[in-house]
Amino acid sequence: MVISPVHYIAVPLLAAFLIPLLSKFIHKELARIVPGIVFLYSIFISITLMLQIGDKGIISEVIAGWQAPWGINLVFSPFSGFLASLMSIIGFLIWLYSYNFKKIDKEQSQKYHILQMMMVTGAIGIVLTGDIFNLFVFMEITAITAYSLTSFYRERDGAEAGFKYLLIGSFASVLILLAIMILYTQLGTLNMAEIAQKSHLIPTSLKTTIIVLFLVGFGIEAEMFPLNGWAPDAYSQSPGPIGAAFAGIVVKAGVYALVRVIFTLFDIHGAYDFLIYGGLITMIIAETSALAQTNLKRMLAYSSIGQMGFVLMAFGIGTHQAIVGALFLMFNHAIIKSLLFMSGSYLTYNSLTKQISALSGLGKKLPLVSILFGIGAFAIVGLPPFSGFWSKLYVLSAAADKNMLLLIMTILAVSIVEIIYYFRVVSTLYYGKQNPEIEIQKPSINAMVSMIALGITILVVGVYPDVITNLLENAATALTDKATYIQSVLTQNLPIN
Amino acid sequence: MYNLELQNNLITTSVYGSAIALILIGLYAVLVKKNLIKIVIGLSIIDAGIHLLFVAIGYIKGFTAPIFSPGSENLANKMVDPVPQALVLTAIVIGFATTAVALSLVIRLYKHHNTARIDQIKSLKW
Repeated sequence: MVISPVHYIAVPLLAAFLIPLLSKFIHKELARIVPGIVFLYSIFISITLMLQIGDKGIISEVIAGWQAPWGINLVFSPFSGFLASLMSIIGFLIWLYSYNFKKIDKEQSQKYHILQMMMVTGAIGIVLTGDIFNLFVFMEITAITAYSLTSFYRERDGAEAGFKYLLIGSFASVLILLAIMILYTQLGTLNMAEIAQKSHLIPTSLKTTIIVLFLVGFGIEAEMFPLNGWAPDAYSQSPGPIGAAFAGIVVKAGVYALVRVIFTLFDIHGAYDFLIYGGLITMIIAETSALAQTNLKRMLAYSSIGQMGFVLMAFGIGTHQAIVGALFLMFNHAIIKSLLFMSGSYLTYNSLTKQISALSGLGKKLPLVSILFGIGAFAIVGLPPFSGFWSKLYVLSAAADKNMLLLIMTILAVSIVEIIYYFRVVSTLYYGKQNPEIEIQKPSINAMVSMIALGITILVVGVYPDVITNLLENAATALTDKATYIQSVLTQNLPIN
Repeated sequence: MYNLELQNNLITTSVYGSAIALILIGLYAVLVKKNLIKIVIGLSIIDAGIHLLFVAIGYIKGFTAPIFSPGSENLANKMVDPVPQALVLTAIVIGFATTAVALSLVIRLYKHHNTARIDQIKSLKW
């Protein structure tokens, strides 16, 4: 069988249609098992294609026989392939974690697993597509599933958080649509490679309009300040594993879209500075707000916004090393924040308010989960034996090469804030007084497996960063090398098999 | 490549004008109205305005619909641009899905809080 990037999207879509039928006519349990099989298949495609592009360069797959500038194409480059593989793996781990998550099984688990699968598919579609309107469609698939998953629990204030997210998200989609429309009136094309080739033909004033509309639209998905009002509520009201999915998958797709627009589509001066300042402000405000939170999930949400600001800032520096650092940060944030959300939601399992004080003294009752949470907390602030250290080091040394001293000072100051609020949680966990009334919940085996897998990855990457740097170097080269991207999309007219 | 300035006759101006008016009316409803249903209606009106604008940019005066039917095989360079129309079809479907999700959330909010006014629903910080 021929493996192609189309399978990333076609297989989950087919499965989403079949799951209700299968679970009705064959076995109820299939509704929960099939998404896992789909995720495993996505990981299999990722591995096969990543090995293939090792010697073939960029795979550009045309859909339905329409050649690149006219039809929709999917581009599997080292950059988009890296993100797609990361999303498939995190998607699988989240599925594994939520397989027996008790509160999800009380509701109709069939809906939950289909929606989670479609959310990951939408995000992978954003990363792979080579057509700007198609990117908009995938962004809407991701957003609509995210709205429904936010409001999944009926007893929480999910509907309110979901509606808030929906209002902001629809505004984003309107802006993106307007930007696409202006772009189309100017160039008459929707193919991203062709836009990149011709974008110098657009008058500067219109170019600025387009880029501002795109930045605001995608900035909402990427949690950029001040467009991130939806994030803390959506993270704290959604089911625990969905918080992990937002941090690990959805936001990554938003950042990808922002970066693609700035790096590939338009070569406009000042956009890089915009990323630096936007990222910096996002980081400072989010991390100081995180300090003030008493709710664990809200704290993690603000920390996630702060990390995204850091990523945007690293992309804004723009040198090769900084981009490697930014991609490393994205990878780290995906695994570490997923681990924190997963272990955190077992630590606050029976607490309705999810306060940090509910964790008091649980270190002795749930030793393994607490250790995993501790690993995550140490890794995300960037302590040396963990993977978070290397990404921070990359970004800091890239900033040092460009003599951005103020930037370095801010990053280090914000890191101290981060250390304070994460260590506060860890010390409550271990040194807090035990509350005998709190009923603990032992994690199921599959949840344990998925958390331990993430924990081991953090440790392994922390000790041997070389296992991942090669991939990251290739991805960074693919992102900055605009000419190869344009050439391989527009001239590769034979479908690769 | 279609330039907005070139299509300067009354009809197109009024189409553009009404599209922008629709967007502004929708924006007004979303920003000012307190009733959740009215906000959702406002979102739909914004969508409608965008769709109208999209179709309008693909229109060329005096050209025909982009359909190859018997008798019009040779009219390929006398047809309006089909791409915006295809995009609008997709955007309409997406708008429909968003509206459906929004309305279901409104129902849930109404059951939970017994009100559909946005200023009375404040369990989370707005």
